[in-house]
Amino acid sequence: MAAISTASSQKDTHSFFARLKRVTKSYTFRVVIQGIVTIWLATTFTFFLIRLLPGNPISIKIDQLMQQGYTLEEAENQAATLYDFNPDQPVLEQYIVYLGKLLRGDLGESITSAGTSVSQQILRFLPWTLISVGTGLFISFSLGMLLGIMIAYWRGGLLDNVVTALASVLSGIPDYVFAILIILVAGVQLQLFNVGEMRGGVNPNIEAGFTLEYIASIIKHAFLPITTYVLATIGVWTLSMKSSTIATLGEDYINVAKARGLSEWRILTAYVGRNAMLPLVTRLAISIGFVLSGSVIVERYFEYPGLGFQLARAVGSRDYTTMQGIFLVITVAVVVSNILADLMLSWLDPRVTLEEK
Amino acid sequence: MSNVVLSVKNLSMSYLAARGRVRAVNNVSFDLHAGETLAIIGESGCGKSSLNLTLIRQLPTSAKIESGQLLYTKRDGQQLDILQLSKKGLQKFLWSEISMVFQGALNALNPVIRISDMVYDTGKAHGLSKAESRKQALDLFEKVRLDPMRVFRAYPHELSGGMRQRVLLALALLLRPQVVIMDEPTTAVDILTQRSILEVLKELRRELNFSILFISHDLAIAAEIADTIATMYAGEIVEIGPVYEVFYHPRHAYTLSLLDAAPRLSVGAEELHSIPGSPPDLIEPPAGCKFHERCRLATDICAHTVPPIEIFNGNHRVSCHHHQIVRKEREEVIQS
Ligand SMILES: Nc1ncnc2c1ncn2[C@@H]1O[C@H](COP(=O)(O)OP(=O)(O)OP(=O)(O)O)[C@@H](O)[C@H]1O
Ligand code: SF4
Ligand SMILES: [Mg+2]
Repeated sequence: MAAISTASSQKDTHSFFARLKRVTKSYTFRVVIQGIVTIWLATTFTFFLIRLLPGNPISIKIDQLMQQGYTLEEAENQAATLYDFNPDQPVLEQYIVYLGKLLRGDLGESITSAGTSVSQQILRFLPWTLISVGTGLFISFSLGMLLGIMIAYWRGGLLDNVVTALASVLSGIPDYVFAILIILVAGVQLQLFNVGEMRGGVNPNIEAGFTLEYIASIIKHAFLPITTYVLATIGVWTLSMKSSTIATLGEDYINVAKARGLSEWRILTAYVGRNAMLPLVTRLAISIGFVLSGSVIVERYFEYPGLGFQLARAVGSRDYTTMQGIFLVITVAVVVSNILADLMLSWLDPRVTLEEK
Repeated sequence: MSNVVLSVKNLSMSYLAARGRVRAVNNVSFDLHAGETLAIIGESGCGKSSLNLTLIRQLPTSAKIESGQLLYTKRDGQQLDILQLSKKGLQKFLWSEISMVFQGALNALNPVIRISDMVYDTGKAHGLSKAESRKQALDLFEKVRLDPMRVFRAYPHELSGGMRQRVLLALALLLRPQVVIMDEPTTAVDILTQRSILEVLKELRRELNFSILFISHDLAIAAEIADTIATMYAGEIVEIGPVYEVFYHPRHAYTLSLLDAAPRLSVGAEELHSIPGSPPDLIEPPAGCKFHERCRLATDICAHTVPPIEIFNGNHRVSCHHHQIVRKEREEVIQS
């Protein structure tokens, strides 16, 4: 009897459907499918949306050329030879061609800078955005958590009052306002730095390489965008961490840990900190999306050569393929950061299991 | 009787609230002997948990211990006053001499770390090596009838309520304290789990010989586990004595009302009588006997004069003006 049942259950776990069921329930499978669907939806949405913008690459170029004194006919001819883009091709056809190429990993060529592939452009601009947005978020998340936990511990004190007031004000101001304020107040009024010199990702006169001078220049140029991102997001992190820490401090297991004689440091890190940061981790992924979209304007103000800067330029000239490429990268970044947040959460909180039982 | 481990003398504590001072512990005195189990009974809000937290000085910052002494005698005979301990001194003292199983214990374990880490943390704070902590814990898990290795490696959410409760019990005994305070250790679990925890507790007590300060709403459980019963009302201990004395020959009208309201202990009584009203406001408690507004035996004197403390048979302490009537009533009920 027993032998039969194990034999049949063994057969069961090896059958095609059993295996399929296990695969479809696995976290990796779920995430991959979700990711693909999200990316496809976002891609489709942006593909049609950007074509709803008034004008197209050719008409924009014609406008520009005419402003430079060309006649309409001259401008039309010139634009047609400059750009490999046919505005009369049906949008649906364009979409199908685009998807087909995308499946093969081909993002196409930039419409307005002929001869440059979109992937090349992205590779050139992505690192700057990764450096500035990544560092900015990292600093503001860590600093916000630290401040939040500190003012929660010493709540009611001077530090708490000052930091809470400041954080509330900061959290209400959008990032581009910080960018403008930094340029106008710190750059122009106070002359703390030379606005012109801070443009670009790095000083072009310094030879690229793994040298101190080059790295220092990168940091110097990334400083303003990073400061902007930190200022724009740190308020929310600080306030969330404060309320989360206060809630955690009221938990029974904290009181018990104190009675058990644990050191303050151990309680602060493994008992308070780790529990209090859980809700913030889930919000990290959303925040990455926000900061990335904010970078479009912020990078333009600082003329920082990241994806956002490039996107603004592409929108201006209706460079559809470049826009599509950049939106795709942003979507992928958000999807990936969601996965990372999941992984981090499951690592921090044993109650969160990624695999469904 | 055996040696006194903890002697509480005239202990008073209050919380500072918006309306004034909440006098949650009022002039409480009692002795806890080695190996003795003292159960504190009383309605919700009578100050049972407040008393416990005062004993181990784990009160919120709004609380103030106003007076009293907490004389503790270590195993080597050395005496100290818990209220005089420095912060560091208290940190070392707690858990190695007096430990506690908190009320609402299901939330008493840190959800993000393993049971083993909580064991190591506790051991480390008191100078135990990892190996020693582990050995002690596995031994205790065995004693509380848990699967030692599985539980040791588990996260709290992987354990049932009853298992967690037993883990907490084991954790409380990790450093072999002389006194364990238990605040309603069985209220959060079902009745069968309750039973098995009580069995385990009795076994442990026999084997390891520690004293217990046991708090319970449930008089039947108190009667089963305790050697001594203390009735608490409005922050005061109004009656204390051997379990048999207090339950069969109570001398305080409040204890009597509690017994009449308890399903399983209402000896002979046909029906249960709940106590009208609720415990008084501890900011401005009533004059005289604090129970007089709800007491069916109350007379004029109860409303004006605080009842004196009287001692019967050497160890049965009561403060009730009409203790003779109480005793007589009970006697009649038992005889009928
Ligand atoms: N932190 C606090 N601040 C102010 N008042 C408090 C505080 N904690 C408790 N109290 C008050 O002290 C009184 C005694 O509360 P306590 O928790 O000691 O009662 P208890 O007998 O343990 O009740 P229960 O059986 O419900 O646990 C109550 O009136 C309560 O409202
Ligand atoms: S003193 Fe009076 S009011 Fe108080 S319990 Fe005794 S009989 Fe009741
Ligand atoms: Mg209580």
